[in-house]
Amino acid sequence: MRYGFVIDQDRCIGCHACTVACKDEHKVPVGVFRTWVKYIEKGSFPDTSRHFGVMRCNHCEQAPCVEICPTSALFKRDNGIIDFDNSRCIGCKSCMQACPYDALYIDPQTSTAAKCNFCAHRVEANLEPACVVVCPTQAIMTGDLDDPQSHVSRVIATQKVAARKPHKGTQPKLFYVGIEGDLLQPSMMRPEHSSMWADHNPLSDSRPVTGDGADDVAPGSARIVYDVPHPAPWGAIPAAYLWTKSIAAGVLLVAALLLGSTRGGDATLANIVSPILALLFLGITVVLLIADLKQPWRFYYLITKPNFRSWLVWGTYILMIYGALATIWLARGWFSGSVPAALIVATAVFAAASACYSAFLFAQAKARDLWQSPVFIWHLLVQALIGGAALMIVAAVALSAGPVIILATARILAVALAVGLVMILIELTLPAMSEEFRRAADLISRGELSLRFWVGAVVIGTLVPLILLGAAMRTDGRGLAAGAALLALVGLWIFENLWIEAGQAVPLS
Amino acid sequence: MPEAKEEPRPLNPAAMELEAPAGGLSAFPAVERWDDWVEFDPAAWPRKVEKHYTLVPTVCFNCEAGCGLLGYVDKGDFTIRKFEGNPAHPGSRGRNCAKGPATINQVADPERILYPMRRAGRRGEGKWERVTWDEALDDLAGRIRRALIEGRRNEIIYHVGRPGHELIYNQRILHAWGIDGHNSHTNVCSAGARTGYAFWHGADRPSPDHANARFILLLSSHLEAGHYFNPHAQRIIEAKQRGARVCVIDTRLSNTATKADWWLSTWPGSEAAVLLAMCHVILRERLYDREFVRRWVNWEEFLREEHPARAQTFDTFLEVLGEVYAEYTPEFAEQESGASAAVIVEVAREIGRAGSALATHVWRNAAAGNLGGWQVARALELLVVLMGAVDAPGGTAPNSANKFVPAPPIMPPPAKMWNELMWPREFPLAFFEMSFLLPHFLKEGRGKISAYFTRVYNPVWTNPDGMSWIEALSDESKIERHACLTPIWSETAQFADYVLPMGHGPERHDLLSQETHAARWIGFRQPVARVALERAGQRFNFTYEAHRAAGLGEVWEEDEFWIELSWKIDPDGTLGIRKFFESPFRPGEKLTVEDFYRWIFENSVPGLPAAAAKEGLQPLAYMRKYGAFLIEEGSYRAHEKTLPAQDLKDAAVDPPSKVISRGGAAIGIEIDGHARAGFPTPSRKLEFYSRTLKDWKWPEYSVPSYIRSQVHWSNINRERGEMLLLPTFRLPTLVHTRSGNAKWLYEISNRNPLWLSPEDARRFGVDTGGLLKVATEIGYFIDKVWVTESIRPGVIACSHHLGRWRLKEESGGERWASGLVELTHKEEGTWMMRQVHGVQPFASADPDSGRIWWQDAGVHQNLIFPVQPDPISGQHCWHQKVTIGTVGPEDRYGDIFVDTRKSHEVYRRWLEMTRAAPGPGGLRRPLWLARVYRPAPEAFYIK
Repeated sequence: MRYGFVIDQDRCIGCHACTVACKDEHKVPVGVFRTWVKYIEKGSFPDTSRHFGVMRCNHCEQAPCVEICPTSALFKRDNGIIDFDNSRCIGCKSCMQACPYDALYIDPQTSTAAKCNFCAHRVEANLEPACVVVCPTQAIMTGDLDDPQSHVSRVIATQKVAARKPHKGTQPKLFYVGIEGDLLQPSMMRPEHSSMWADHNPLSDSRPVTGDGADDVAPGSARIVYDVPHPAPWGAIPAAYLWTKSIAAGVLLVAALLLGSTRGGDATLANIVSPILALLFLGITVVLLIADLKQPWRFYYLITKPNFRSWLVWGTYILMIYGALATIWLARGWFSGSVPAALIVATAVFAAASACYSAFLFAQAKARDLWQSPVFIWHLLVQALIGGAALMIVAAVALSAGPVIILATARILAVALAVGLVMILIELTLPAMSEEFRRAADLISRGELSLRFWVGAVVIGTLVPLILLGAAMRTDGRGLAAGAALLALVGLWIFENLWIEAGQAVPLS
Repeated sequence: MPEAKEEPRPLNPAAMELEAPAGGLSAFPAVERWDDWVEFDPAAWPRKVEKHYTLVPTVCFNCEAGCGLLGYVDKGDFTIRKFEGNPAHPGSRGRNCAKGPATINQVADPERILYPMRRAGRRGEGKWERVTWDEALDDLAGRIRRALIEGRRNEIIYHVGRPGHELIYNQRILHAWGIDGHNSHTNVCSAGARTGYAFWHGADRPSPDHANARFILLLSSHLEAGHYFNPHAQRIIEAKQRGARVCVIDTRLSNTATKADWWLSTWPGSEAAVLLAMCHVILRERLYDREFVRRWVNWEEFLREEHPARAQTFDTFLEVLGEVYAEYTPEFAEQESGASAAVIVEVAREIGRAGSALATHVWRNAAAGNLGGWQVARALELLVVLMGAVDAPGGTAPNSANKFVPAPPIMPPPAKMWNELMWPREFPLAFFEMSFLLPHFLKEGRGKISAYFTRVYNPVWTNPDGMSWIEALSDESKIERHACLTPIWSETAQFADYVLPMGHGPERHDLLSQETHAARWIGFRQPVARVALERAGQRFNFTYEAHRAAGLGEVWEEDEFWIELSWKIDPDGTLGIRKFFESPFRPGEKLTVEDFYRWIFENSVPGLPAAAAKEGLQPLAYMRKYGAFLIEEGSYRAHEKTLPAQDLKDAAVDPPSKVISRGGAAIGIEIDGHARAGFPTPSRKLEFYSRTLKDWKWPEYSVPSYIRSQVHWSNINRERGEMLLLPTFRLPTLVHTRSGNAKWLYEISNRNPLWLSPEDARRFGVDTGGLLKVATEIGYFIDKVWVTESIRPGVIACSHHLGRWRLKEESGGERWASGLVELTHKEEGTWMMRQVHGVQPFASADPDSGRIWWQDAGVHQNLIFPVQPDPISGQHCWHQKVTIGTVGPEDRYGDIFVDTRKSHEVYRRWLEMTRAAPGPGGLRRPLWLARVYRPAPEAFYIK
């Protein structure tokens, strides 16, 4: 038994009855929608046409929201419905990054994620979903896709149907009849700031991702004339969390490298100061992580209701282990003055894991093509080294550590910055994996975000520090090294923000 | 088998959907479980928390279609949880548009008016005090009683927007009082189309059988709005899926137009030319139904009267027809309309192929926008007649074929009054009351009003020239008492003496029948909470008591209000009024709503008692359970009905016309020697030729023709910045000014920008979001622009519904929808309105009011429209010639300026076009022509 939808856009008259019936059934608050009708227009007078697309959860067979949800608040029923239990939801919004269809929102009343659940409570009573019942033209159909005799199966078998983004591998169970192609390609249209009968929703501000000359729209090409807002789920806090986590992970990674390469030097920095800094930044990371939850007091559900398919859960465990190892490191460094090699290796492994697990989490954010970059995992490692090395230099200078360790750390920072820059350039310039990836990358390299990128992340955050580091190494200039380190941290901060923002800029629906 | 055929069919086949298809899901709970339906609480889900509901059918009030709703009433606290469709309703078949489920917003609106209120300050000052229903009734009844006793019967006016009780039930009340006091909104709405249809076949509405059509020609937007949006949209799409072709004639790209096979964006007002060009092609290529035209068109009368010298044969008629429409070539139509001649020919040929399965509709659109708009309906119907599609399967019937009006207990005789404040002599053929001219009539001293009821009627906002309404409503010497019967605040309610909260659709009783398709049905509107409480064993004298018990304040319903008011007007029966409000079951006792509907269902609805008996129910209990009843389905060609032999006894046949009369009343027509029912016209035939129009001084319009509109393109000088403003189009989500309290509708649609073509936008140097000043002869407004390819260059379009305002922060307007404005009366006649702020979030019991994100309340465009009454139909001609200007530094979005002295001048100018009564025989109005709340025949004569 696998329930699915067929929506016949040839029958659909764009009346919004489904939208409102759904609101009535589920008391969906003002401003958010479980199902909505998007309008586009194309052509030039008098050859103009308007097209409607009923948008909602696709009840994917391979649902990325279920996979990423750390507490299994989202789950698949035996009958194929992707349902949710808002009493388990911690409001991490990762599902909103995973869903390629913009189906999820945070309910302002409950502060938990919600979406179309196929009216599972009605299906339980053998009733069709509310949108199906209300539809004046019977454009929305449901039934069992496993039953070849069901109405939906027969429609799918005998008519031309299309699904949204099949290439995402989600195996959607919503099939459209007669949908206008442009409605399947949301990233091809420029965002509009007003619609035919609705005010501009301040939440719907989005970046123009089709801005450059090559993307100039042909006369009469499709434009949005009505849509509902889909604000980016993640803002400055997740970016800050990436930054603090890079530093937290990088500090002990760098300390491990230093302990491995500069035996006999002043060990205080590596043995005691670095675990303290790692724990401090790990603490900030955890606070940020929790602060960004819409249900912060449910943060412990990550431990008590874990979904082991979610990298958010694995990340939590990795960070916990890393925190424990850092604590032991600190204890050994403090009480016995030396850290055993086995502990150094184990900590380094979990430091790297702490830095890199985000690549797996971001990969589970299937909606965001930019974050699917294969270089991302290595880039995270390099970012950790940049953050760790930079903070170590600042600490070393502040504590008046010996020149050897400063020089060694400066070398690590310089190499990391150089490798990082190469990686960024590779990520932004290699042939794109997808059109959506290209648009997000272009937004950074030559779109609205390019000034912040080139000036902030590249020049101030990378090139200037490299020059300063070169000078510092030649002249043993502590001040120069510290300056380079601080600028590198600023550059990293800017880049994390760009990465988060650009990743979410391409419209999904 | 014959036995089975005699069985009354209790429900529409749609009700069969109550049965779950094998292995699938059902659309609705099985009807035997409606009394105690158990459903899981979606808020608690996936925990299975059971909720018990009692399901009460009622009828939606968010447009005229009268679709069925099923209220889910919580059996614990008797609150209404939600509304779904009513599967037993033959018109809507369990389905609804967005406005159906949004009814719950209106019921639960924290802004709604819960108690009767009386003004505490000056009119319009915005100060109110709560009163009891009895206090309000005593005051109004006393005033009405005095007027009746003192012979001031024409000083009582009941002015209604969306009626309800539209069949004849309110006529019962006003005629019982002996007054001609009904005033409606129809002449700002559909009078144009009604007039065109009535001159053809007597009935004033079309009833297209969309579901069975092969070609659908719409001058309407029935896939998104209008009467009857949801029932028609269902059937239009059904036909389309089966291969019917659709052509939509509409200047702007409506949602309906975009679904059509052909969209003809005509210059507004040129539609009759396009339709007559299609007729031209059909005549030229002989695509018409010759036999139907020969039998059913009054061609003999036409030849007799207009071409007596020519041979009186049908072939002569066809010849003359060809001559009459020779000038309407497709090329001429293209020149007038801008629509391609080739497409006009293509569509005409498609119509020819469809034959009699031609479903057509015009209701407002062109018929309501233009001088002579009524001829658009007449031209459209000419196509229907030529194709023999009148009341044919898949064709277009007179609405009388698909509507049923059950007789109430005791109908008073018609009043012997004629009220010239509504039916002035200048407009003897006006299809409805000249309601929108009332302020001008009062200004001219044609009368005064002692008791004025407005009921779901918002003339200040909806009518043209609203500032003149404000002036009239503010003048206590002209309108002495104004009671506003309304569920919600409105611009007009701000100028009332009483604001009396009457229920929304699911909060009162009513009986409806609409021509949604080829069937006859009735729908029973019920106060859902009261019915649920009564199912639980409680009893109430009045619906407001039930509402009090259900947490709905003292919201009442009209049925009971009018009975109480009538008893208070005539407490001892000496005025002869009370007897009409006594129970048919308990003589001498007061009529109850229960009595009223019980009597109707037991006595006036064919088949209903038998259907009820089959289920072991009384007819009223049956209707309380199902909320609708299908009387008849799939019957066609009522005009062909053979007159029964007993009717022909003592009947006489008029020799030249072949009209059969008995006792002075026409009952049929002899066609080829057979006595047929025919149509309710003077000739009993379809009147291609209207002798009436000729007799009433309009000989030039005696046959369908094209009248150039007041906004014909030759009157618009684009060089001088002039454009045509198309201000009438509706949205799928809103309904006039009644949906401001539906938050789920307003979050979808909340502003009305000016639709402007890119070409015109370049001309005025604006882009989307830019401001323009739109000026008529009497004033201007300032609105934002939305640049779109969906409008014809030279035309600017602005949707209806939006631009709501209130004068006080806390009262007078729904805060979900209205902006706060400052209204200043500068000098005599000049008014300036400026927005203080748009829509803002507010604190209320509903947390959603704090989540309002839209700020733009839209712009109230109707204020700057002078009245433009069509001299024949009386329809206000909505389209405006405007001058577009850029804004200055002092101008702000939403500014509106009006000079009512100028609006009165425009009124005088349009009045000069009329040709006044008396007509033949000293009549005020042709006796045969339908008139709402028809008075006694003697009132028709000018003494």
